[in-house]
Amino acid sequence: MSGNRRGQVWGQAAVLVLILLLCVFPFYWMVTTSLKTHVVALEAPPVWIFEPTLENYREALFEDGVLLTLINSLIIAVVTTALALALGVPAAFALARFDFRGKRDLWFWFITNRMVSPIVLALPFFLIARNLGLLDKHVTLILIYLTFNLPIVIWIVTDQFRGVPYDLDEAARLEGASQFRIMRSICLPLAMPGVAVSAIFSFIFSWNELMYGLILTRNDAKTAPAMAVSFMEGYNLPYGKIMATSTLIVIPVLIFALLASKQLVRGLTMGAVK
Amino acid sequence: MYVNLFSMEETMKRIQVLASAAVAATLATGALADSHAWSLKRAAEPYAGTTIDVVFLLRPGYEAIEAMLPAFEEETGIKVNIIKHPYENALGEQVRDFVAGGDLDIALIDLVWIGNFAENEWILPIEEFTSNPDLVDPDLDIDDFFPLVLNAFGGWNGVVYGLPFDNYSGLLFYNNCMLEAAGFDGPPATWQELKDVYGPALTKDGKYAFALQSKRNETQSADSFARVIWPFGGSFLDENFRSNLLSEESQAGLKFRQDLMQYMPDGIVAYDHAETVNAFAQGDVAMITEWSAFYSTVVSPDTSKVADCVAIAPEPTGPAGRKPALGGFSLAVASQADDDEKAASWLFIQWATSKANAGEYLQRGGVPARHSAYADPALVETFKFIPALVESWQDGVPEFRPRFAEWPEITEIVQEWGSKIMLGEVSTEEGARILGERMEAVLEEAGYYSGDKPLAQ
Amino acid sequence: MRGKVSRRTVFAFIGPAVIGLAMVGIAPLLYAGWTSLHFFNLTKLRRVKFIGLDNYESVLTDPVFWEAMGRTFALLGTALPLQIVFGLGIALVLHQPRLSLLKTLTRLSLVLPMATTYAVVGLLGQVMFNQKFGVVNQLLGGVNVNWIGDPNNAFIMIIFWDVWQWTPFVALVLLAGLTMVPVEIEEAARLETRKWWTVLRYVQFPYLVPGLVAILILRTADTLKLFDMVFTLTRGGPGSSTEFISLMIQRVGFRGFDQGLASAQAIILLIITIVLAQLYIRAFYKEV
Repeated sequence: MSGNRRGQVWGQAAVLVLILLLCVFPFYWMVTTSLKTHVVALEAPPVWIFEPTLENYREALFEDGVLLTLINSLIIAVVTTALALALGVPAAFALARFDFRGKRDLWFWFITNRMVSPIVLALPFFLIARNLGLLDKHVTLILIYLTFNLPIVIWIVTDQFRGVPYDLDEAARLEGASQFRIMRSICLPLAMPGVAVSAIFSFIFSWNELMYGLILTRNDAKTAPAMAVSFMEGYNLPYGKIMATSTLIVIPVLIFALLASKQLVRGLTMGAVK
Repeated sequence: MYVNLFSMEETMKRIQVLASAAVAATLATGALADSHAWSLKRAAEPYAGTTIDVVFLLRPGYEAIEAMLPAFEEETGIKVNIIKHPYENALGEQVRDFVAGGDLDIALIDLVWIGNFAENEWILPIEEFTSNPDLVDPDLDIDDFFPLVLNAFGGWNGVVYGLPFDNYSGLLFYNNCMLEAAGFDGPPATWQELKDVYGPALTKDGKYAFALQSKRNETQSADSFARVIWPFGGSFLDENFRSNLLSEESQAGLKFRQDLMQYMPDGIVAYDHAETVNAFAQGDVAMITEWSAFYSTVVSPDTSKVADCVAIAPEPTGPAGRKPALGGFSLAVASQADDDEKAASWLFIQWATSKANAGEYLQRGGVPARHSAYADPALVETFKFIPALVESWQDGVPEFRPRFAEWPEITEIVQEWGSKIMLGEVSTEEGARILGERMEAVLEEAGYYSGDKPLAQ
Repeated sequence: MRGKVSRRTVFAFIGPAVIGLAMVGIAPLLYAGWTSLHFFNLTKLRRVKFIGLDNYESVLTDPVFWEAMGRTFALLGTALPLQIVFGLGIALVLHQPRLSLLKTLTRLSLVLPMATTYAVVGLLGQVMFNQKFGVVNQLLGGVNVNWIGDPNNAFIMIIFWDVWQWTPFVALVLLAGLTMVPVEIEEAARLETRKWWTVLRYVQFPYLVPGLVAILILRTADTLKLFDMVFTLTRGGPGSSTEFISLMIQRVGFRGFDQGLASAQAIILLIITIVLAQLYIRAFYKEV
């Protein structure tokens, strides 16, 4: 190995370590701050070594009800993701495989929904939900989250289906298989990376959503991000507790993302076709 | 003893029987006996099992009542469902609930919201309840509330809607150790003195003489902007409801604030209460003008490094006298509640603001607005802020911030342009001019200039 | 012959999604359109009245609205190029052979920022960028930079967090694109030239285009929607220095309660978003 080459490897390693640190450090800081008492958290300059306390977590979990909001977020994110897949995968199949009039416009309309700022819809949703008696209910958020999850599923999965060679379903059709069968047994397995990615994104976006959660829920269906901002009283900022709550909110979705990272890396082709 | 078992219906029946008997003397003694025998438990009997919903903030006064709540629930069987919000969300949350005919049975009213809530008829006058002997505590003693506080926090257009609950006055908190070290034997008496004498002497070595919370939210309007215009004789509006911000006096106040900023920490425009109180509690700032409610934060060693140095005075005076910041919340019964919820809500409000509970409320970190609560001289030992607070509440400006329905829109304009002035993006004149124009546009639209609306603030 | 199916089949596949999304998505949009044509203040509902296009006129002539819009595009214009440059760099480093364990770890860590709740990123920003007890100033050698309270620094801080959170996404999309390049073609190209730039430009780039377009569309839309992180970090301050378009609309509609005006602003924002998305797609997206 030449010196130049070795230098390259070291350079590469250094860059990788730097990226790793940049990605991870804020979480390290979040967790350590969450273990500090109020006075220690305000120490200037900040201290790195201190006596940790779990008091912030105890307060967050058992006095402020963070646990319930985590359960709510989990229920909402899982169900809306499942629903988005159930509706979105067949639609994506049709968009990728069938010829029909207005296809392009329809695709564009789906995608457009992903772009609407929640600010536009938040109050109308509130008033409608109120009239239907749907405020502070899980189902409300589950349905509303479709407005951004369905487009993501359709976008990614349409691209994936398009990447599956046609010859395969041609053969199946000659054997008399229905379109549904073709989708399920032939195309879907091959499009799985895309389906997985869109499911992962749906889950992450739903888990992290703030605006609708803030406006449409109060107690029973309150979501974790809505909880995170609820300590932001200009009167007193309990930084330790805020970071403890943040940690509790972020840990589940981070674990999920790490477990799914393999699919994430493989499926994020966004329409690049071999 | 027999009255004990009476439900409201039976009481009514009994009064009817007595009235038809037309024995005036009997009626009078009966009523006397009734009022003598009033108890919360009995008054609440018909409403046991009712749940009432109310928005609370994450502030000491609310925690105090929350801690005392089990006694109330125990005694009455009324369940109080508290929905906690940070201040910044509390208005929006309540407005949306009232607009949509939601669940809230009690309105939590910042003094600047009262015009809005009253004009929309979202809240009921206390008259509805005080006229009902079954519901009114004979010991309610409305006159025991500081009149300024009652009128400003709970009253609108001569009608009282809410009872003062979480009450503040602006006070000067100062770090006596820092002042003494700089050769001062007391706090500044005037704003001018604070700036010209204390400012230069106390701003050194990374420490600052003063911090004025000025974040771009209600803090900018209430704690920063209004606080400098009034003592200099300025105001938001003149008697015709035109902008008064370009007047010499208002301009003097705004210019004073610009000048004073050299003795404040950098980035003061991003300081909310928390940052300001922290800076004081960490010993970085010698003086702050803050709400009475922060007393416990700055004197507790858990949250303050300067606990032993804290001293308190009324806010300094300006050329126009002492015009301390006035702020606070009242509780009023929401009109959207059903009859049982209304009665139960009234009983809760009455209980939470009662004379009998004022002492405990104070001990637990709340600030009651009742004269009687501060009568005991021994309390002053424990709560050093009491003399300054009582003095500040003697007289003040109820329209310190106009309390009309348009305030939510106008405060946004004040916040935007007040911050721009502080940042030096516009001059005080230019900023005040634009602010005034926009403010007048809102008032025009609301119909104040065409005579459609009385000029009440 | 391929793709010709009966309308019934098409409907069976796509109908549920269309109906589902229409039911949830269209009613509120119509409602917003209706309020935008009215004087509609939540605290003055007794005075709701039809005012035609007055709200739109106010928005179009309001310098504050266009300042917020300009600020939003200034953010997009600085953050997105940084994300693409860093993202491409990271993708290329990860695409190199060797160091597979370290690469795996880095790839895993890249997933973290993009999964983090946006509101939490803002809270984290408050803690880390605090002038006094923040770790950022400490790590910069004990400097005394006022991040949150200074207009320019606050803007830089927002750019930092946006880049921190979304560069990994860009990197992973581009990395996926790189892995789509058939190995034999890439190897052949590397035998021809030793310049990585040439390989990137002529061999790899075509595979990156769809990903770049997707990034462009998503990042544009998300910047126009950007709310949570800024709301928890600076609330648009100090002054107006970080008041991006969605924060402004929220302020008008949910703090000033002028839902009519806010709806008009939101609809103008939506039109701008759709026009941009159409442009991108027409320009780069050949498929569909």
